[in-house]
Amino acid sequence: MYKMLDGNTAAVEAMKLARVDVIAAYPITPQSTISEKLSEIVASGEMKAKYIRVESEHTAMSACIGASLTGSRAGTATSSNGLALMNEMIVAAAGIRAPIVMPVVNRAIATPWSLWCEHMDTMSQRDLGWMQFFTQNCQDVLDYTIAAYKIAENKDIMTPAMVCLDGFFLSHSMQKINVPAQEDVDKFLPQYELTNSYLNPQDPMFVSNVVGMNDYTEVKYQQKVAMDNAFDVIENVFGEFYAKFGRKLNIIEEYKTEDADVVLVCMGSMTGTVKYVVDKMRAKGKKVGMVKLVVFRPFPYKYIYEALKDKKVIGVFDRNSCLGGQYPPVCTEVIAALKGTDADIRDYVGGLGGRDVNPSNIEKIFNELLDIHSGKSYKHTNWIDLKENPMDSREVFKYV
Amino acid sequence: MIKLKFYGLGGQGVVTASKILSTAVSLYEGRYAITVPSYGYERRGAPVNTSIVVDDEPVLVNCFVYEPDIVVVFDASIIEKNVNISEGIHKDSILVLNTEKASVLDKYSKFGFKEIFYADGTEIAHEITGVAVPNGSMMGVLAKTGVVGIDSAEKAVEEVFGKKVGELNAKAARKAYEATKKM
Repeated sequence: MYKMLDGNTAAVEAMKLARVDVIAAYPITPQSTISEKLSEIVASGEMKAKYIRVESEHTAMSACIGASLTGSRAGTATSSNGLALMNEMIVAAAGIRAPIVMPVVNRAIATPWSLWCEHMDTMSQRDLGWMQFFTQNCQDVLDYTIAAYKIAENKDIMTPAMVCLDGFFLSHSMQKINVPAQEDVDKFLPQYELTNSYLNPQDPMFVSNVVGMNDYTEVKYQQKVAMDNAFDVIENVFGEFYAKFGRKLNIIEEYKTEDADVVLVCMGSMTGTVKYVVDKMRAKGKKVGMVKLVVFRPFPYKYIYEALKDKKVIGVFDRNSCLGGQYPPVCTEVIAALKGTDADIRDYVGGLGGRDVNPSNIEKIFNELLDIHSGKSYKHTNWIDLKENPMDSREVFKYV
Repeated sequence: MIKLKFYGLGGQGVVTASKILSTAVSLYEGRYAITVPSYGYERRGAPVNTSIVVDDEPVLVNCFVYEPDIVVVFDASIIEKNVNISEGIHKDSILVLNTEKASVLDKYSKFGFKEIFYADGTEIAHEITGVAVPNGSMMGVLAKTGVVGIDSAEKAVEEVFGKKVGELNAKAARKAYEATKKM
């Protein structure tokens, strides 16, 4: 059935359809309507769940871990500084192997304070043992959230997942969404069952205890194996999802890459705009293509290699500044995936703090890449949407 | 593809209006739309805008509208608040304006829009709903441009506002539709 939903309500709808048992959430812009709407529908009885009001995101995640260990399907959602405050329990959830699914509405972390979209919040959590899915539109938010529960709870995975949606560009964008029927979701996603570690007073065990140097490495290795296993599980779950709901989900999506001279790799809501620009430039005979990265953790390096191994010029767009790094995170991963090929890979940074990733900047990137491909030029504009004279911005005048 | 930009003041329901339009074309006309609200540090009375893209195909582009085909102004005073409502317009761009005042129309006629569709949406809303919030009524004026049918606009107004308030606002939309003039 078609409904008009914004990205946040799509996430709520997915959590409801997934029959999440316990919700512990703390509101933060632009996530707030997720925690508000969930509390409303739990209070009205539309959703049968326990809603725990907490005083911080740190506690929200702690409560979700506890709930998960009792065999409940647990859920929360956050953004930006909220995710940063959760950091300690993010690591704990992954180590405890609590398969929590969390929509994260991407927003810059202060300072300077910004309410608006960038990927710095989730990128700063990327190596802590969570899976990460990045979404293009509101339908993606709903679909990948439902699928993420099934992947996270697979007994070979038992790893939490973030479903990332761009603040405002998705969280507050109203779109037409195909919402599946509850009974179909029930068949796709059966009730969560505990397998290994659990909290049960009748059968006590230590959870999250100190592990000496004899075992720590092996415990971490088990988490690595889960990540390595994830690709097969994700493919199976996406296959089942397609059979059930008729929508194709992807680990990476190749858009008109086959005969493309240059390809841009990117994530999130901008991938829709990039597809639009690809179509426009193709109509003018320019051979450009795009790879939409959906799964960022675990990083699908084999898929990226297969998609791009023969490409000579590749651009990678990071919505994250990565201060002090040689390359920003998505670009670093793409370079590593294509090690041994002779691809010329260019890093682009933009769309920070809500700055719009618009068609003219995307076109500029493609034209730069095409010029590099044809040998006309060697340079690219690293920070693509930087204003002129950036060092003069916000200059402090004293004694005037 | 039709690109629209709505301008108004915080509290006038500009973002809600964008939801009404996207609901109307998406649910009742089998087309597609996305809204991209430009949230700032809004407060009641501050200028706000929102972008909407309407198409027969699923909308891929997910960013602000820079070259609007239709501009809707919910409060004519907005041009006195440092807002350039004609930014990015082209020779075929249309203006939808909430006013009946000749002096205001005169000012707006200088922006170079191809056509102006206008009615006093605030007055019509006040008369029918008792509240001077023009977002329902202005949907009727907008429908006159042909971007959306008045029947689907009415249904969407009811859907977004809920039955009771929605019925009154749908009436306001119909009345504004019939009252719309063109210059």
